[in-house]
Amino acid sequence: MKDKEFQELIDQSLNETISEVGMKALEERMLQDPQARIHYLSSVGLHASLRRRFSSQQEEEGTILFPGQSIFTRKTVWAVAACLVLFFGLLIFQVSNRPFAEVAHVIGAYRADGVTYKTGETVEPGILSLTRGLLRLDFSNGARVTVQGPAELEVFDQDRVLLHKGLVTATIPESAVGFVVDTVAAHVVDLGTSFGVSVSENGQTEVCVFDGEVEVSLPREAGLEEVSHLVREGESISARVNSSVIDSVSYETSQFENALPVNYGVLQTTGSMRFVSPGPDFHPGNYKDNEHIVVFPEKRGFLSSESMRVDMIDPGEYEKSHYEEKPTLVPHRAMTSYLLQLDAYPEGENPNRRRSVIGQITFAKPIVGVITEDRLLNESEVVFGIPGADYPSARTIEPRPEGDERKGFDKLILTADRHSLILELRENPGHLDQVRVLVEAQ
Amino acid sequence: MATPSSNSNRHEDFVALYVRHEPAVFSFVLGMVGRSADAEDVVQRASMTMWRCFDRFKPGTNFRNWAFQVAKNEALNHLTRARRDRHVFSEKMIELLASDNSEEADKLEARRRALDSCVEKLPQDDREIVSGCYAEGATVQSYAKQKGGTANKFYKKLNRIRGKLHQCIEAQLGIEGSMI
Repeated sequence: MKDKEFQELIDQSLNETISEVGMKALEERMLQDPQARIHYLSSVGLHASLRRRFSSQQEEEGTILFPGQSIFTRKTVWAVAACLVLFFGLLIFQVSNRPFAEVAHVIGAYRADGVTYKTGETVEPGILSLTRGLLRLDFSNGARVTVQGPAELEVFDQDRVLLHKGLVTATIPESAVGFVVDTVAAHVVDLGTSFGVSVSENGQTEVCVFDGEVEVSLPREAGLEEVSHLVREGESISARVNSSVIDSVSYETSQFENALPVNYGVLQTTGSMRFVSPGPDFHPGNYKDNEHIVVFPEKRGFLSSESMRVDMIDPGEYEKSHYEEKPTLVPHRAMTSYLLQLDAYPEGENPNRRRSVIGQITFAKPIVGVITEDRLLNESEVVFGIPGADYPSARTIEPRPEGDERKGFDKLILTADRHSLILELRENPGHLDQVRVLVEAQ
Repeated sequence: MATPSSNSNRHEDFVALYVRHEPAVFSFVLGMVGRSADAEDVVQRASMTMWRCFDRFKPGTNFRNWAFQVAKNEALNHLTRARRDRHVFSEKMIELLASDNSEEADKLEARRRALDSCVEKLPQDDREIVSGCYAEGATVQSYAKQKGGTANKFYKKLNRIRGKLHQCIEAQLGIEGSMI
């Protein structure tokens, strides 16, 4: 490219008449040539100065006479004006312009242009597109929405989003009841709950309620007769574009398996782990599984008034210890609790087989304590257990005693960053392995 | 979020630093985002962020560099959104511009100072055009309409006038020849 052409591109850019092709050419040149960039920066500098100089006053007077005969130069007037603008700007900002949502967690989430999302980014009204990965948005009213790519989510304000395609799970506290997820086929109003919405390429919408209830109606714009369904926990519905009916379908949570845990502060589970949202008739005994360690969220952000003994607080591998030696967690510290369990059942031709099930769970916040022994599990259940849930007793985690070379013990490792727990649990049909993990509250 | 509203001294410190460096920040942002209206928005947001995070700024360190950093992040946020509709500079381009802008900041500052006297030296006709086109709320189109000419004609005139100012600045700063 000749210098004359480059200058023309800069002029077009300053005049805001540059074409798409021109923008690309300008960029291409500047990516290669540092001198070109410096020339561009000086040209923009000149342009910016002219804008500041002539837009701050209409008059061509060099000085302005104020009542009281004091003489201000134009520069002083501009500086004073800038202060005032800034001051009032700040006032307005503090009243009305707080960001209404921010990116709370990012798990391999990329934008359409390949740029990754960053934790702490504020969310502006507009379309959020995700080619893959998971992204959790925390709204200022307490609503938490996890988006799973590929997805396109349009955010309007703290009360309403429109899912064009893809999948979201939402966890809505009291403070945000009435939160709306719209899709091309359905209008979903939360009534205090945890639910998932997915939209396929053809707009077909599925809503699955994990907890609480939501109201689903046809899109408001459709001009169709008002049809609304109350969908309760453990129920799912499906709605097609331009259809006038909402169908009940079988409750199937597997498509929300990755996004839902993020709402609860679990960033990732790998290996053989499965996250379960506890419904109203939750009972850990209902989740017998030979393939997976199952994770249940328990009480969230709970402030215990008493100190509590746990089995493990430091990174490393879990070893057995006497009750008196157990570390103690100080009271008045808000924590969120999760129960991890392996509850195998006799199966098939070899009902007594003893396989190991291995998995890793990573939390958004650091782990403050791990509880494995039956007595401590019972003690902590009183505080952190889900009210009304029937917790089984006689639970055993058997770590390898020091110096024992035999195969087949349980292994728990708390990673150095305290965010992950690695489990290797040995199946023993008829015997239950449970671990309670206490995590710093968000 | 820190909102040191009760601390009026802190506020004064901030305003003094901000007003001093605002032209540099505006210029930098305009270079990244391209459109004046967008640049004003981004600068406005950036100034809010700077005030909110002013606690994290260590007195005695370089406010301008800190402000550039905040402004760059705001500009990147803006560009990510704008990118859906049209071609804007890539993140790589922004990084390069940001590093050049910081390195050249003093020189760009000197150019800004030199501009004042160069504007004074412009012939009356040229001055009128510049002040008309750059006035608050004005566009080249609106100015052209008012003066009864095509926008294209005034774009060309502006290009020429900026070229003249550019040369004048280089001469004042004793830079030999044009950079390009």
